[in-house]
Amino acid sequence: MHSDNLIARAKEGDQNAQGKVVQLWYKRIYNFSFKFFLNHDLAMEVSQKTFISMCKNLPALQDNARFKSWLYKIAVNYCREESRKKKSNRSLSFDLVWNREAEDSPQWESSGHRIDDPERQLQHRELADVLQEALMEINEEQREVVIMKEYEGLKFREIAEVLNISENTVKSRMYYGLDGLRKVLERKNINKETIGYGI
Amino acid sequence: MGYKASEQDLMAYLYGELEGKEKEMVEQYLLENADARLELEKLKQLRHALGQIKDKEVIAPPIFVGDSRPPFIWNAPYFKTIVSIAASLLIVMLVGRLSGLQIGYADNELRMSFGKPAQPRETVTVRPAESLTSATVQQMINTSLQQNNLAMQESWAETQKKLDESIVKNLASNSAKIDNLVKASSAASQQQIRDFVSTIQAENVQAVKSYFQLSSAEQKQYVESLLVDFAKYLQQQRNDDLQVVQTQLNSLQQNTNTFKQETEQILTSIISSVGNNNSQGTKY
Repeated sequence: MHSDNLIARAKEGDQNAQGKVVQLWYKRIYNFSFKFFLNHDLAMEVSQKTFISMCKNLPALQDNARFKSWLYKIAVNYCREESRKKKSNRSLSFDLVWNREAEDSPQWESSGHRIDDPERQLQHRELADVLQEALMEINEEQREVVIMKEYEGLKFREIAEVLNISENTVKSRMYYGLDGLRKVLERKNINKETIGYGI
Repeated sequence: MGYKASEQDLMAYLYGELEGKEKEMVEQYLLENADARLELEKLKQLRHALGQIKDKEVIAPPIFVGDSRPPFIWNAPYFKTIVSIAASLLIVMLVGRLSGLQIGYADNELRMSFGKPAQPRETVTVRPAESLTSATVQQMINTSLQQNNLAMQESWAETQKKLDESIVKNLASNSAKIDNLVKASSAASQQQIRDFVSTIQAENVQAVKSYFQLSSAEQKQYVESLLVDFAKYLQQQRNDDLQVVQTQLNSLQQNTNTFKQETEQILTSIISSVGNNNSQGTKY
């Protein structure tokens, strides 16, 4: 995706090289953040902060070969920071919180948009949206791993480096993340027939 | 035998990150274990489904990074703080100098003042009065009382004298006025009294005469009007009586006529009924 030479020039303060790195990696970081939050504004916020931080701290990067995991580490930290802010600012109505249906199902599912018939559901919602929303239902640690592995194509070793945890822990989170996703989709009657591929 | 693929192994195998012997062991395990095969198949299908989420296209906005050069010493926060404190102290000192602020501590007393310090005032020593004996004090009191008594006696005598003079003067004045009045009243002559009495009598006669004249005229007028009213009353009464009599007569006349008509009707009826009876009797 990039050459070590480009990173080297960016580290030396070459603004053209830094701009090039931003151009190369912005889409990846934005999509990682978007899948994490399912929110364009937050994804843009995280992406901006990530690349500003990257430009400032690039000279401190010791091993250019680890640029990818280093960049994702910055992005993950900002995602977690925004998530904490979001949680502290979130306010739900009492009825929504004490909705028995909502205890077993996510907030978006218990809303008026829920349609029991999967075929009708697919008529109204794109499968990608349903999957994306299912992603939002698994916990953040698993979501980070699933997105980095499934969509960003990082190796388990790289993810472990990003999250500063063991490779086995990464694989466990991946396994339980996928298992959780499968259960969420089963609960929504999203199966082989409804999406044409099967789960 | 006895090998069981862990979750970590399955994940590594699923994403193609197993190689060599480990990969072979997992494949062997999957061949021997249908449940594990099924689970792996489901995970593959899930991955396939997750592949439906495509990346969103986004254009990288320009990233503006501030000056990355190390900050100068005066941009350091601690430097700014120290300079701020020093500037504040300098301002305080300058204001103190201009306003002549004096601050001192002496004898457990903190003094803050503006301008020149006040000079201590000269102390005036008050010498204690010489001691007085009770006899001296008594003598002073007695002397004072005597002086006071004498002054009061003089005042009283003078007041008494003024009062006596005033009484004598008033008596003389009043007696002179009374004498004058008596003399004036006795000077009035008998003739004047008689003239006064005759004048009063004449006035009285004239008043009584005019009163009687006026009274007799009014009485006459009143009696005349009374007689006229009485005559009118009698005339009115007579007319009313005549009207009543006339009404009674008319009523009597009317009754008589009615009675005559009724009598005629009865007689006619009797006659006609008698005639009918006779004709019926003839018929039968």
